Amino acid sequence: MANAEPRWLRYTLTAIALAFLFLFLALPLLAVFAEAFAGGGSAFFAALADPEALSAIGLTLFIAIFVLPFNVAIGICAAWAIAKFDFRGKSLLITLIDLPFAVSPVVVGLVFLLIFGAQGLFGQWLSAHDIKIVFALPGMVLVTLFITFPFVARELIPLMQAQGKDEEEAAISLGATGWQMFLRVTLPNIKWGLLYGVILANARAMGEFGAVSVVSGHIRGQTNTLPLHVEILYNEYNAVGAFASASVLALLALVTLVAKTLVEWQMRRETEMLDTALLPEKVNQESGIPS
Amino acid sequence: MSIQICGVGKKFGNFVALDNIELDIPTGELVALLGPSGCGKTTLLRIIAGMETADSGHVKFAGEEATHLHARERQVGFVFQHYALFRHMSVFENVAFGLRVKPRSERPPEAEIRRRVMDLLKLVQLDWLAERFPSQLSGGQRQRIALARALAVEPKVLLLDEPFGALDTKVRKELRRWLRRLHDEMHISSVFVTHDQEEALEVADRVVVMNQGRVEQIGTPDEVYSNPASPFVYQFLGNVNVFHSRLHGHWADVGRDVAGDGAAKTPADGEAMAFVRPHDIDIERGPVVGGLEATVQDVHAIGPLVRVELAHDSELIEVELTRERATVLELNKGQRVWLKPRQVKVFSVAEAALEEHGSGI
Amino acid sequence: MKRVLPGFGLSLGCTIVYLSLLVLLPLSGLAFKSSSLDWSQLWAIASGERALASYRVTFGASLLAALINALFGLIVAWVLVRYRFPGKRLVDSLVDLPFALPTAVAGITLATLYAGNGWVGRHLEPLGIKVAFTPLGIVVALTFISLPFVVRTLQPVIEDIEPEIEEAAATLGASRLQTFMRVILPGVFPALLTGSTLAFSRAVGEYGSVIFIAGNMPLISEITPLLIISKLEQYDVVGATALAGVMLVISFALLLGVNALQWWAANRHHGKHAVSL
Repeated sequence: MANAEPRWLRYTLTAIALAFLFLFLALPLLAVFAEAFAGGGSAFFAALADPEALSAIGLTLFIAIFVLPFNVAIGICAAWAIAKFDFRGKSLLITLIDLPFAVSPVVVGLVFLLIFGAQGLFGQWLSAHDIKIVFALPGMVLVTLFITFPFVARELIPLMQAQGKDEEEAAISLGATGWQMFLRVTLPNIKWGLLYGVILANARAMGEFGAVSVVSGHIRGQTNTLPLHVEILYNEYNAVGAFASASVLALLALVTLVAKTLVEWQMRRETEMLDTALLPEKVNQESGIPS
Repeated sequence: MSIQICGVGKKFGNFVALDNIELDIPTGELVALLGPSGCGKTTLLRIIAGMETADSGHVKFAGEEATHLHARERQVGFVFQHYALFRHMSVFENVAFGLRVKPRSERPPEAEIRRRVMDLLKLVQLDWLAERFPSQLSGGQRQRIALARALAVEPKVLLLDEPFGALDTKVRKELRRWLRRLHDEMHISSVFVTHDQEEALEVADRVVVMNQGRVEQIGTPDEVYSNPASPFVYQFLGNVNVFHSRLHGHWADVGRDVAGDGAAKTPADGEAMAFVRPHDIDIERGPVVGGLEATVQDVHAIGPLVRVELAHDSELIEVELTRERATVLELNKGQRVWLKPRQVKVFSVAEAALEEHGSGI
Repeated sequence: MKRVLPGFGLSLGCTIVYLSLLVLLPLSGLAFKSSSLDWSQLWAIASGERALASYRVTFGASLLAALINALFGLIVAWVLVRYRFPGKRLVDSLVDLPFALPTAVAGITLATLYAGNGWVGRHLEPLGIKVAFTPLGIVVALTFISLPFVVRTLQPVIEDIEPEIEEAAATLGASRLQTFMRVILPGVFPALLTGSTLAFSRAVGEYGSVIFIAGNMPLISEITPLLIISKLEQYDVVGATALAGVMLVISFALLLGVNALQWWAANRHHGKHAVSL
């Protein structure tokens, strides 16, 4: 075979790759759980049963559950407009959708502070009406929306572009209304891509640290998410507590990876099915037309 | 239902896709829109279906204005080039789709839907595939499911975009005969788009030859083939030998004698081009009046025909003979012979140049 | 113009409104705030000694991390696409861990691993190598968080290389190394560059994982995002804004750079083709 390296080289390269991945990925993952259980199982569960830890978990879940529907709705909107229609400024719009990925989380936090903070653009108006956005839940939700905005759209745009408009046009020409077309044709076709985007957005929403940290105000039991809780405990030299909470987040990461892999397999299977299906037919006995 | 297309024009940016199209499709006819890729035939089909909006002009169904009707209100059955079957639905659900999305008041009961879908699947001879998914079907089967799906809503007009384009030759031939029979049974006005002249000539009642956004000729398959209205149609439908009358004024004269109706249009000598089909030329071993002297270059037997390549001056001429005639002639390479056309059509050079420019054929 | 498919106006309208309110308005707020400040004052903050040192640390460590990932990412992507070994699918899934693991968790874990008494640091300390609480620790953290970019950008490109191309090179007498250097590498180079730029761009803005392992000594191991935070904690909004402005401009430049790279990767063959015609 022309496209094969000598055996020693294949083994060397594989060994280098695996060693690199072990050192940078597997070892940290193992360390999280090892540290979490360093003080024994009871210390681990005591750390998690702490009211502050529980409230942090609750807040993290709340933010994620609140944010995801927005991501889904706007992701579908953006992908629908971009993938199915031609209009001027489309590539600019695609670039703008990518923007939140490019901006440092700390800068994201800061810009919301500049707008909604006490000395910010709307600061006076907000305090006059007794509305608190930064150093409170609304600010944390807003930065999370900002940070997670691209995930669903970026997943759906290439998928919907690849699927083309034919099926939707067929549905319309068969008399379907826009809503019927969306629910019966578009949504079933994009469901795996959508789920994939949601999984990634969820992981980011639950794990975001920098941006949330700037606007949270770190009020224990009130505006502390789980990642912020980890930081506080760690800085107080409560290693077991910090790693107990961290292990919950690491577990979430593992669940994310598993779910992501399953969805990837599902998507791959469907595209492979389509690919084989699109091969030109060789045998015509199948066509079954009596001549 | 009849279709009238009045002065329809469409531009994509600077590209003129359709230029003032006039076309009448009578009820019950099977019409082919034939032309090279980019000639605007698919755009015209999509405008009839309401999938594309014309920049100007009108589309009328049975004499009634339909230009502003939405695709879903036109009662048009559309079969997509790549079928556009719903990949996540079974064959049955694909065909049932049009019935299921009807407003509740018009929607037939479930039993009725079942019956109609199964009837249609029987009509396209695929009722045994009802529970399969599109990805499990062959191309020809998908094509017929797409047709059944389009027929389920009882359309007044059936539109097919390159219906056999993605199939291999043998399946394609079977399917187009089958489509013809189906059309004769259902008698629904149908329009299909194709770039394959053989397909258009074999299947359609009438052929609309299109080029560069314009209609070149409308006629029965026999009319467009035997009596092409323009050099483009001549060249697009089958092989043709082109003679420049500056060199072969002689043949242009022959053309005038043979093709009586062409004579009226024939301009002065020196500006005309003569078109002769390879099978409209006879070969004689000895000199004939009005014949053209040529040398045999090559002789190929292709199935029932014998194709002879001849050189006259520096030009190559193709002639097709029957096997019997070739046996009688006993042609050899390098032999001198005389050519006599049975039918010649003459166009002015200006006309021909206009047609050839940018046609890409 | 009338369109057949519904919802164009609605979907585009919603997208633009949402994008404007959530992303563009806040970002322009930063521009607005900076413009209300004195330019010379802004410049003085953005080019102060501590700021300059933080740029050096941030960009130096990010560049190093991107280079490490370019080299090892290429090897990992190659091995994952071309070779078979037990547990390959598991390893492949694990590559995305840095995307899934919250940065704070990564930060405290890496700090613990590389500290003098940690699993890794314990073995490095006797060799005189200190990682945690030094600039080297920043490189480690940034390598971790930006690891998937190069691998994930390269994988599909390596999958798409037609075996015939390598076979053709081999039949023409090229050695395996020559084939790699002259045929394969030029083909994957744009993707390698794109992946590395993405990794660099992500590393520059990173905060959560770095602060735990960096030691955060001003002028030595203080990254720019941390400097912004410490200015904020001192209620120095002006200073934070100035630094954030610098970061934002660089983010835009990198985003445009990535877009240009992707455009180049997609179009260069067409370009060459046209020229050769």
